[in-house]
Amino acid sequence: MWKYLLEKEFKQFFRDPGLPRMALMFPVLMMLVFPFAVSMEIRNINLVVVDGSRSEESGRLIEKCTASGYFRLVSVCDSPDEAMRLMDDNKADAIITIDAGFSREVETGTGFPVGIKINTVNGTRGSIGSQYLSSCIRMYMQDRNPSPDAPASPAIDVADRYSFNANMDYKLFMIPALIVIGITMITAFLPALNIVSEKETGTIEQINVTPVSKSAFIICKMIPYWAIAFFVLTACLLIAWTVFGYVCRGRLLWLYLYTTLDIVVMAGLGLLISNYSSNAQQAMFVIWFFAVIFMLMSGIFTPIASMPEWAQTITYFNPMRYYADAMRSVYLKGSTPADIWYDAAGLLAIGAAMAGWAIASYRKSSD
Amino acid sequence: MEENVITIWNLTKKFGNFTAVDNISFDVRKGEIFGFLGANGAGKTTAMRILCGLSRPTSGEGTVAGYDINTGQEKIKRHIGYMSQKFSLYPDLTVRENIRLFGGIYGLKDREIRVKTDAMLGMLGMQSEKDKFAGDLPLGWKQKLAFSIALIHGPEIIFLDEPTGGVDPETRRRFWEMIYDTAEKGVTVFVTTHYMDEAEYCDRVSVMVDGKIAAMDSPAGLKSGYHARNMDEVFRIIAGRAEREE
Amino acid sequence: MKEFAASAVKEFRHIFRDRRTILIAMVMPVVQIILFGFAVSTEVNDARIAFCGDMSDPEVRKTVDRIDQNKYLSIVGRIDRPSDAEDLFRKNRADAAVCFAQDYGSDLISSGRTGAEIICDGSDPNTARMIASYLAGVISSEQTDIGISMAGEKKISMTPVVQLMYNPAMKSSYNFVPGVMGLILMLICSMMTAVSIVREKETGTLELLLVSPVRPLWIVISKMMPYLALSAVNFASILLLSHYVMEVPVNGSLLLLSFAALVFVVSSLALGLLISVISSSQRTALLICGMGLTMPTMIFSGIIFPCESMPQILQWVSDIIPAKWFIIIVKKVMIQGDGMASVIKELSILAGMAALLLAVSIRSFKTRLQ
Repeated sequence: MWKYLLEKEFKQFFRDPGLPRMALMFPVLMMLVFPFAVSMEIRNINLVVVDGSRSEESGRLIEKCTASGYFRLVSVCDSPDEAMRLMDDNKADAIITIDAGFSREVETGTGFPVGIKINTVNGTRGSIGSQYLSSCIRMYMQDRNPSPDAPASPAIDVADRYSFNANMDYKLFMIPALIVIGITMITAFLPALNIVSEKETGTIEQINVTPVSKSAFIICKMIPYWAIAFFVLTACLLIAWTVFGYVCRGRLLWLYLYTTLDIVVMAGLGLLISNYSSNAQQAMFVIWFFAVIFMLMSGIFTPIASMPEWAQTITYFNPMRYYADAMRSVYLKGSTPADIWYDAAGLLAIGAAMAGWAIASYRKSSD
Repeated sequence: MEENVITIWNLTKKFGNFTAVDNISFDVRKGEIFGFLGANGAGKTTAMRILCGLSRPTSGEGTVAGYDINTGQEKIKRHIGYMSQKFSLYPDLTVRENIRLFGGIYGLKDREIRVKTDAMLGMLGMQSEKDKFAGDLPLGWKQKLAFSIALIHGPEIIFLDEPTGGVDPETRRRFWEMIYDTAEKGVTVFVTTHYMDEAEYCDRVSVMVDGKIAAMDSPAGLKSGYHARNMDEVFRIIAGRAEREE
Repeated sequence: MKEFAASAVKEFRHIFRDRRTILIAMVMPVVQIILFGFAVSTEVNDARIAFCGDMSDPEVRKTVDRIDQNKYLSIVGRIDRPSDAEDLFRKNRADAAVCFAQDYGSDLISSGRTGAEIICDGSDPNTARMIASYLAGVISSEQTDIGISMAGEKKISMTPVVQLMYNPAMKSSYNFVPGVMGLILMLICSMMTAVSIVREKETGTLELLLVSPVRPLWIVISKMMPYLALSAVNFASILLLSHYVMEVPVNGSLLLLSFAALVFVVSSLALGLLISVISSSQRTALLICGMGLTMPTMIFSGIIFPCESMPQILQWVSDIIPAKWFIIIVKKVMIQGDGMASVIKELSILAGMAALLLAVSIRSFKTRLQ
């Protein structure tokens, strides 16, 4: 019985004019293009300077900032109002104001009349911009004052070291995440549409009057997506290797293992939603709703640790949290399931709940 | 006395406070063509879905093919065939693939399926259409195909839910020939319809009105009982008492 | 015109009969806005720090205490060797480790110079960099304190005054509210339009409409009307929520904002129409909208990743995404309180896109009919 049901699912999948192409092309395209786009590195911050001092000292400070490579000097204004107008027009991201008495006060060490204004509508850009500016100013101060009284004040030499990603390559960080997104989307959207379309054509009723058991029917529906997801995973890993030159630090087997667990969860969710939806549009909306929430609350784009307590609690119910964490840990750090057993446990728990619920709620007979 | 393959006592089905099927009881004998008549919304499809194990009764007892309708639904499904009013074979599978799928689902072996497929295609005269998508066939052929597939596992009873909706009289007549052939082989046919001329072809008919069985007899018996010339007239007399709106 | 009204009414009936879809379409944005407005932020909180050093050394203890008291950092444990740090990272038990040099305290007192190493889990470069700078800050303030206690004089601070404009609390909702608004409006409009037309194509009722005396153009427009209304409701609910719950200000003109939203919605509706023309089945239409529109919009519209740091080619790609321009307008008008003059460029680009999309989609829709 299984053989025939599987045969049917595969035939239907590959016979659809758009589906197979889309299911395979989408993640591959995503993998080829998106790594270039996903960068949190902030460059070309538009800087406007209000230089009231017009001295040698202020010139040196400005040069220090522009030489860092993060800033683009847009203009040097005379009045703060003019600079503010530029910021209102989105032409300036940061304004650095140097007061008239700058060079004298710095010379005598009586003060530091410099102000920074940062446009923080975009949080990241703002906070990183102000960090850069502050560090430029710190560097300026160090250069000016090569600590003549060095022996008197104690010094702690601090060295930074970054494990696993010495070059601080953001692309590398996003590669496993993009794989996660691609696979999750495919395995969530396709099964959901599948059952609903059987509902809409009425074929599901013909199956319901046969002795096919519900678990057999649902499992046969999941298996093709499992195959597709493995294919996609393999293709993505190959692209990461051939195009970007990244290799998985851990054992590939673990990537496939965690992907299998994720598929159970997502396909279960898809089927569950389609069981409760009366048409494809509804199913798609709900799935999309969950997919976007899963994605933005998974720690893929922003760290989970920075969420408020209640939101962190919600993420424990987010399968993508576990899957993304597992894929990143294995790919970037070479973790083994012994290290990240909790990700497997989370996926298994959610997966069992989803699949169980999906099978229970798929009724062969109505009340 | 012939044996009964369907026995139903006091079957009731409620959806919320709407009673779709209201305390009906009847028997169907082996090998007969049993017509289930009624206007749209009279409850005939609901009753039939319960008999097929697609829906659970609110109350009532009964057996279909020897299995209890409350507890033996999955067993019932092995012994019945079902054809819904909507064409429900996979439109994106070919004729042959559809036959293979349903043969497989009912546990036939590959070899048996091959033999059955050839026999079925020959009987339907669809040899040259075997690799066409089921969705592309004309409606009449789709229905004949669906009917044959519903019989693929040799069920004892076949349920037909308005099988001839939307086709021309000639196709309908030929479809009924297939039904006769099937009944002759000892398969019980349970058919719902709202075409009154089709009721004449049945061995016995029951007329449902407002979820209740208003009359049940052979077409001849009904006609003489109501002093009517044909079934249409019988139906108009009985259905005239209906209170429920469509 | 009477025919148009009639067919628009039919569309409204059609849509609002499907209560569940309507409910989903109305509730979804609300939930998403609340969730993202509060939950999604790029700031680093509660970084887990391990340390490696001699706890009997008072200087080490002082520094460790100081790290633990920092509101962004917390100490989670001690490791024996710096090399153990990677193992902790692999198990995701710590984000960074501070390793104090041997004889940290005594060196500091005797020679005035000592060392510490910060090891970060670099797999997430941004977070790693931020944690490293927090840690360095803590250590340097420790150093300053020691200096003060040794030298006995207080230096004036040489740091500039930083003023955060428009978003002083650095709330990420200022950034995400416009983004999610763009994403939701686009998706609901394009997906619903596309699906409703493809569905009629599948059931054949579209032909029925097309043989009626109503001109095809009006049929298309009447099909869009309910979604326009739905988007208006969504727009209003998102705005109310972000203002009263998220406390994102609406500094600019509401009229201008609504007008921009209208233009954006029209472009999304046209996009939906275009998708309905190219897709053969509901499933394809849904997938194109659900995956094909969502991901590029999320990545390229600047919601999460700044467009400015993309390679030039991808910046061009991001330029053709209507949501990008809409989000810029919303940020400018809503949060910065800018007027018409400063958004005229973005608004005209958006209007141009809407017009182009509408023209192309209606044209291809007509060709498909013939």
